[in-house]
Amino acid sequence: QVATAQSARGARAGAQTATVGAPLINRVVFQGNKKLKSEQLGPEMQTQARTPLSQSVVDGDIERIREIYRRGGRSLAKVDARVVPLSNDRVDVVFTIDEGDKTGVKEINFVGNNAFSSSRLRNLMTTTEMNFLSFLKNTDVYDPDRISADLELIRRYYLKNGYADFRVVSADAVFDAAREGYIVTITVDEGQQYRVSGVTVDSTVPEVQAAELQRLTRLSSGDVYNAEAVEKTLTNMTAELGRRGYPFLVVRPRGTRDPASHTIALDYVVEEGPRVYIERINVRGNTRSRDYVIRREFDIGEGDAYNQVLIDRAVRRLNNLGYFKTVRITNEPGSTPDRVVVNVDVEDQSTGQFSVSGGYSTSDGFIGEVAVSESNFLGRGQYVRLAGTWGQRTQGVEFSFTEPYFLGQRMAFGVDLFSKYTDNTNYSRYENRVTGGQLRLGLPITEEVTLTLRYSLYQSELKIPNTYSKPYNDCSIPLPGLTPVNPNGTATYPNCTWNGEASIAVKEAVGTTWTSLVGATLSYNTLDNIRDPRSGFYAEVKPEIAGLGGDSRFIRATAEARYYHELFDDVVGMIKVQGGHIRAFGGNDLRIVDNFFLGPSLVRGFAPSGIGPRDMTGDYRANALGGTTYFGGTLEVQFPIFGLPREFGLRGAVFADAGSLFGYEGNRFFDLNGDGSIYCPAAGTNPLSQEPECLNVRDDKKIRSSVGVSLLWQSPLGPLRFDYAFVLSKATGDQTQAFRFSGGTSF
Amino acid sequence: CDTLSSLNPFEKDEKYKPELVPDVPAANLYNEGLALMAKNEYPDASKKFDQIDKTYPRSEWARKALIMKTYASYEGGEFSESVNDARRYLTLYPNGEDAAYAQYLLAMSYYREVPDVTRDQERTEKALAAFQELVERHPRSEYAEDAKFKLQVVRDQLAGKEMEIGRYYLQRRNYTGAINRFRDVVSKYQTTRHVEEALQRLTEAYLALGVVSEAQTAAAVLGHNFPDSPWYKDAYKLLQSGGHEPREDTGSWISRTFRGFTRSVGLGG
Amino acid sequence: CSSTTETLTKGYVIDERVVAEMKPGTSVEKVLERMGTPSTVSTVGNKTFYYISQTFERPVQFMSPRLVEQRVLAIYFDKNFKVERLANYGLKDGVVFDFITRTTPTSGSELSLIGQLLRATGGGGGATFNPFGA
Repeated sequence: QVATAQSARGARAGAQTATVGAPLINRVVFQGNKKLKSEQLGPEMQTQARTPLSQSVVDGDIERIREIYRRGGRSLAKVDARVVPLSNDRVDVVFTIDEGDKTGVKEINFVGNNAFSSSRLRNLMTTTEMNFLSFLKNTDVYDPDRISADLELIRRYYLKNGYADFRVVSADAVFDAAREGYIVTITVDEGQQYRVSGVTVDSTVPEVQAAELQRLTRLSSGDVYNAEAVEKTLTNMTAELGRRGYPFLVVRPRGTRDPASHTIALDYVVEEGPRVYIERINVRGNTRSRDYVIRREFDIGEGDAYNQVLIDRAVRRLNNLGYFKTVRITNEPGSTPDRVVVNVDVEDQSTGQFSVSGGYSTSDGFIGEVAVSESNFLGRGQYVRLAGTWGQRTQGVEFSFTEPYFLGQRMAFGVDLFSKYTDNTNYSRYENRVTGGQLRLGLPITEEVTLTLRYSLYQSELKIPNTYSKPYNDCSIPLPGLTPVNPNGTATYPNCTWNGEASIAVKEAVGTTWTSLVGATLSYNTLDNIRDPRSGFYAEVKPEIAGLGGDSRFIRATAEARYYHELFDDVVGMIKVQGGHIRAFGGNDLRIVDNFFLGPSLVRGFAPSGIGPRDMTGDYRANALGGTTYFGGTLEVQFPIFGLPREFGLRGAVFADAGSLFGYEGNRFFDLNGDGSIYCPAAGTNPLSQEPECLNVRDDKKIRSSVGVSLLWQSPLGPLRFDYAFVLSKATGDQTQAFRFSGGTSF
Repeated sequence: CDTLSSLNPFEKDEKYKPELVPDVPAANLYNEGLALMAKNEYPDASKKFDQIDKTYPRSEWARKALIMKTYASYEGGEFSESVNDARRYLTLYPNGEDAAYAQYLLAMSYYREVPDVTRDQERTEKALAAFQELVERHPRSEYAEDAKFKLQVVRDQLAGKEMEIGRYYLQRRNYTGAINRFRDVVSKYQTTRHVEEALQRLTEAYLALGVVSEAQTAAAVLGHNFPDSPWYKDAYKLLQSGGHEPREDTGSWISRTFRGFTRSVGLGG
Repeated sequence: CSSTTETLTKGYVIDERVVAEMKPGTSVEKVLERMGTPSTVSTVGNKTFYYISQTFERPVQFMSPRLVEQRVLAIYFDKNFKVERLANYGLKDGVVFDFITRTTPTSGSELSLIGQLLRATGGGGGATFNPFGA
């Protein structure tokens, strides 16, 4: 019995039976491991320091290491162990590992698929084949669970396209040592494509007439059978029954196949379901969000009839809040057979965000932004954001706060304060600082329609830079040494415009103006996904009136509508129309700053403020005057770029834009030098003795149009978009800009 | 026996160098641990005690070190760690002489992290269970008294959560949900301060439903047991305004349980 | 515009035909079997079953639903648990008043802003635990 002095004295508490003659292990060491660190491997081992050495345990550990590496996608790893004797009867156990190369999924083959190509089926799967990107990704590691999950995705896809008899015959993976990877072969039996022969609705319940629900069926006879559409029909019908006050009625689908004619007769049966009520709703896991922030998203409460549609709606709302990593609802039997306890398990995620983002766009140049935001402030569901932006042509700071349940009702009350300086000199020779605040109230009318009321009060300070680098007012105030002057000290015209000069309309608008504006936005939204819509419709109308105090008096209304439709697999078509009009009232003229200054947002291929009325005298290239009326339309098709692996996140798009901006309503005659007379020479007379005091306005209703192509890249740094547009028609004076880039990253 | 250098050069593989780990006697480690505790350096003290536990497994020193490590991580505010240490101690030495203290540290680790009533009360429930086990298994230990007091506080917290949800449903006029939550407080948390408010809320809910007899009974029970509670005054005024006197139906189990309860706890009023 | 009005039926779903079967003398087992578990039972000795059903209307989604119809069906049982009598309470019987805003103080470490910023999941906020509130 070899035992050190210490362990003999303290052997009272259950001494472990040490094998006779086995030395104690001093240290367990790993060597040659790169992908997995020793700290990760150590705890997995049975062989531990200060335990007696046992060869069988060490052998077991060798197998354990090999299994760990196999799961990590390195099935070729070679492992061996040796024992190094040390003084005073101690030993070290050293595991030597040769990790070998990555052995992922070399190839995925399909057998028996004639309806859909192998590459389309591979695109459905999350498991990917090894390629030159392998060192970056791990979706090509052979993982049996992921493969079986993929099989389910493929089955749903076939069911969606009418192959009701589809089944997976076999899916086996063979490790090919020569190719150092797995060959996965999936054999499928597609069966026939079924079409719908007839759709009927039957009701075994007196209160409900079948005919009323007929309109909710998604498929009609002749269509290709689609399992997903059947599922949607069921939820729509159950929701309709719930709305009519029959929460316990359930709809059961019955499909009778006729293999000879490959048709299915669909029948929806309305019948009495179990009468179950909710006993309790337990909210769990909310370490940060308050209980009521979660409970108030449920239109259903304790004591109410169990209604799956309302539960799903609550889950959707909770996920849209963005406060939770996961939202999981499970039901437990209640204290009596007709009672159920609903457990809502949420996992709070840190909704605080400190983001530093940078970006470049051809219109704003380089932009940097630092923002601190918290979308679940103190767990009360309130949103707070403080952001500072710095850019070549814009600087600003912005604070915003929103309480989504104002006065306990689903009214989103918000306050925004902002101060933003923009340097427009590239497009219209002025700089503008807008400082002010806004109160807003969001009122959801139905699940799709939302009305937002707004009151904003802001001061806009317009200046024309007159420095040696930006001499845009030197015709009025000559710069010594730069502006050519006449003997009497006034600037010689038109020479002073050659280094760029602001239009006299802009010179007239210099100064500070207050705007106090009441507005509303009515929006209708059925998009399936806000960030990357593939189907659905979005429309909004924004009427605004400025004039409750403040200097500006105008009525402005803008409108926009977008419709997305998935043409076929992963190809999304989009149609967009937009328009707007502004009109002054109360006698005074419209301020130039309030006009619409549009460019690429209306028709791509034009420079910012490149479209619309322009003062053609002197430096017309950068003297946009803005317009009072605009309308425009866009047709765009987005598609994945074939041939490139999906992980690249690259998508292409082709588009056609058309639109126009016109109607300069402002003043055209300005007595610049205050001599009481307006000096307005007829067009073409020269030399001009001084700067004309009237605008030579180019205001053309012509339709501007362009066609182009775009590249969208969900890069690891953030979303980037490149647009190249070829202008088809433009009005004289419009400024074009074929290439546009915008992108940014936040980290 | 160096292996081939693999694809990415900047990851070096670890080399093996034979080197003996010296054995420091347990007593020295233990005293070093105590010294660190004195200086409030709890994380280091915790590591020192952990070293004893690893170097001399299943020895008397290891047991002493484990309870001290639990105490160190508790004082250091690392409650998840102190919970694990306490649990390990209780499984290794269920009837060791410091078992009561370990149980107390376990309960207090949960107790210190009890959140406000609007958030998940999982830790409150765990603290309740831990304190209850302490009172049952070590009734005469010096921690039993404090455990009884803390039990009262923790139960009060759980009752507060039920009231919070009851009031949520009351405001939205979901009387079924509200009544059942307040009933739970009355039946399960009788000894907490919330029972008075629960009875008053029942009066409100039943009156809003128009079931006056129930409203009267709830108010009567409240009046009987807590005659000068502000809640009873509210309930009384409410019934007055509704023109109905509170009268108690003496045959009910609730009055009987309350009569018994007021005598034993002597809480009355 | 009434088209956006949403009707929410809450609580027990009354089936008049089943209610008609609940004549005096019916056993409590039959009541439970036909009517189902009651919404709640009397705080007084569980000798009265209450089936509470409500209908709310919500003209637009941002407004909180308005109670438009409320019915409480009470079933009173005698000593040997046979139905003694039924009673109905409608919306008009309900007394309308404001609930008391005062609440019994609770405790637990309030989630402080600092606590939230420091601890991603807002574990406890670190404020000392004062059992008897503010």
